[in-house]
Amino acid sequence: MGNSVSKALGKLFGSREMKILMLGLDNAGKTTILYKLKLNKIKTSAPTVGFNVETVSYKNVKFNMWDVGGQERLRPLWRHYFPATTALIFVIDSHDKDRLNEAKEELYSIISEKEMENVVLLVWANKQDLKGALKPQEVSDFLQLGNNLKNQLWCVVGSNALTGQGLVEGLSWISNNTAKK
Amino acid sequence: MVTNGGDPLRFSTGDGIDILASKEKFINYRFKAVRSPSVPNFHEGNYKNLNSSEPILASPIAAQPNYESDRDTENLVLNSEHDGTNSLIDLYRDEIVHENKDSNDSEEGEIFTRKEEEIENSSEVEQAFSGSPSKLVSVMDNAEHFDRYGFRKQNNFITEGVYNKWWEGYSQYCIRRKHKWVMLLEKSGLSVDNDMPTRFPPRSEKLKRYVRKGIPAEWRGNAWWYFVRGQEKLNKNKDVYEKLLVKMGDLNDEQQRKKLIDLDVIERDLNRTFPDNIHFQKEQFQNKEPPMIQSLRRVLVAFSLYNPKIGYCQSMNFLAGLLLLFMDEERAFWMLVIITSRYLPGVHNVNLEGVNIDQGVLMLCIKEYLPEIWEYIYPKQKLENQHKHDSLNISTEVLKNEFLFKLPPLTLCTASWFMSCFIGIIPIETTLRIWDCLFYEESHFLFKASLAIFKLCEQDIIKDKPLHKTLGQYTLPNSNRTSRYSRLSQDDYDMEIFQIIQSFPKRIIDPNDIFEKIIFKKRIALNRLDQQEIDRCRKYVSNQRLKYKNYKDLIGDQESLKKTTNRMNNNINIINNNNITRESNNNNNSNNNNNNTSSAAESLMKEINMTNDLMNDTLSSEVYGFKKGLSSVHWNNSIKERVKQMRRKREKDYQT
Repeated sequence: MGNSVSKALGKLFGSREMKILMLGLDNAGKTTILYKLKLNKIKTSAPTVGFNVETVSYKNVKFNMWDVGGQERLRPLWRHYFPATTALIFVIDSHDKDRLNEAKEELYSIISEKEMENVVLLVWANKQDLKGALKPQEVSDFLQLGNNLKNQLWCVVGSNALTGQGLVEGLSWISNNTAKK
Repeated sequence: MVTNGGDPLRFSTGDGIDILASKEKFINYRFKAVRSPSVPNFHEGNYKNLNSSEPILASPIAAQPNYESDRDTENLVLNSEHDGTNSLIDLYRDEIVHENKDSNDSEEGEIFTRKEEEIENSSEVEQAFSGSPSKLVSVMDNAEHFDRYGFRKQNNFITEGVYNKWWEGYSQYCIRRKHKWVMLLEKSGLSVDNDMPTRFPPRSEKLKRYVRKGIPAEWRGNAWWYFVRGQEKLNKNKDVYEKLLVKMGDLNDEQQRKKLIDLDVIERDLNRTFPDNIHFQKEQFQNKEPPMIQSLRRVLVAFSLYNPKIGYCQSMNFLAGLLLLFMDEERAFWMLVIITSRYLPGVHNVNLEGVNIDQGVLMLCIKEYLPEIWEYIYPKQKLENQHKHDSLNISTEVLKNEFLFKLPPLTLCTASWFMSCFIGIIPIETTLRIWDCLFYEESHFLFKASLAIFKLCEQDIIKDKPLHKTLGQYTLPNSNRTSRYSRLSQDDYDMEIFQIIQSFPKRIIDPNDIFEKIIFKKRIALNRLDQQEIDRCRKYVSNQRLKYKNYKDLIGDQESLKKTTNRMNNNINIINNNNITRESNNNNNSNNNNNNTSSAAESLMKEINMTNDLMNDTLSSEVYGFKKGLSSVHWNNSIKERVKQMRRKREKDYQT
């Protein structure tokens, strides 16, 4: 019932709904981010087999966030289920320098898919709390999104899922940059 | 403070000694139940010498996590081996005494002696922990937050209060069941030696019922091992695990680590396996890896060497982790081998075809046994809409089975149910009950349990009125605009269903919700499902998927197919026209080239038509039929009889 009330209010104030797909290598912190946003709690992290889906409301926007987990070999299972996504969030473990290349490859292989033609891309350079983690700028330089992305709007935001730093900033960037569409 | 674990006031307020008594038992029961599942791991350090890293033998960390409450400490420290004085069996006997004599006197005396023991022992406890008093306190403070397997009671879906309240009743149920098991074993002439029976009665309807009502937690390791015929497997493969460990070599050696392909992936998941379980956690303020994590690493790496076709697949960490709570490493390893081959064939393979087959089977089962839910997962109209405008001549009859190839999105959810055998999907006690049945009744039970979960949340799925509306919108005849709109609605609908399917199972804290409400009710259709049916169904789905795959491979996707056919049709028309004029002119010589194209196009057309025909022929004749009929009626009658008998018996019992 509360749901329907908020829906009605949402209509009055022009709320929007969007589908967001959150991807990234295993152990990047996707699930932790999702539950930090949803419950403001740190859920002890366990590998996500399958996925989590939660609705996160921020201002007037309802984000349907799909946190798709799984190691490389599990990705084919979910790949083809997300055609109508508004935004793609790619989470990167800024501390795991050994796997940055793998992350970059994965990001480009996803973003080059046909379904992703019109998404806006948010990259969360996660785990900023860890000592020696790459700064968002460094992550951004490494990914070279400016040189390679023609269609999509993109943004790299530093984040720390444990404190929530950068999360709201990221979502509001998405909401601001999808409003015009 | 710490040693005053007794604190009888806490329990005796209000109702007096009786409550104290039952609590005392309750806690002792808990204590024992906690100990047993994890005991083997810490007492059978068979492999410690093979690996240069930490030994797996009992260490302070190993023992410590078992503290359930203040008063358990004493017992634990002093009776770290089963000494019988406080064992479960005694406890159950107490229970019987209590039931039969209905007198409080004997118990009072008993408690008194226990109290004395505790006080006597308290100083030793203090000594034992004098090194790190602060840590002790913290463990004590924490202990009550964990269940008998060491999992944190509270999570996002269940509060500790809810857990405790439920557990108060359920632990009594466990005690009753355990008593029945002991009776059963004794009646079958099997020993319950040291509360660690290794042999169980032969298969029977009665035993099946017992298993479904739950194997005693501390027997689970042995019972599972017995039911899957693990020893047989182990005897055939003597020393294999040991050799694998030798092959694994020293994991501290960088060079060696690089040789192990799956190690990195495994390593990333190790510390994320049951972070909520005390056995898998690091000791506070220490960096030493818990023995459980080390065992887990060895089992998973050994498995990846044993079966490179599977290697390591996420979710196996949970399977192995849970097994390790109940048995030693080598057995856990072989159980993992058995699970991944016998119960979940192909599910963890690199190509994941096993997952897809099982999901196809599950969808067929939902369609058959829960047609109302099926309507929501895969509305009929959707199918018709989807293919209305297809120029291809594939009948909808054929496409009826397309969902086996293009699995409905819901299978994204249910795939993980199978991959991890419900670990992390439903609360632990319920998971373990399903495991009991899985190992006794084989893999069809996973499907049965899944269907039961769907059945339980059927109302939640169906009652949603707006959902119905969106579906209605979805089925509107589609112009471009409505189809876009309806796609959004479909998303909404997916979202709703996903949320239900994702969160509902997490609240099934009481295993009996699944069992008493669904599984034991013979008139619920899904209980007809048996292993034969699943085996047949798996074969069928696997074949169907292969056919679709071949079909798709041959033709490419439908879009390009349509284009090709159109283009070809045009060409043929042109060519035909040409031919007609040519024929009328009787001038064949100059048109060889055209002829060639024409025949090529014709043959391709033929091929396409043939494939379509082939598809129609082969697939339409093969719509899966679930076996129904007389056998189940017969079954129902026999069950009815039995229920009547049981009722009569129970009434008698009440009267006496």
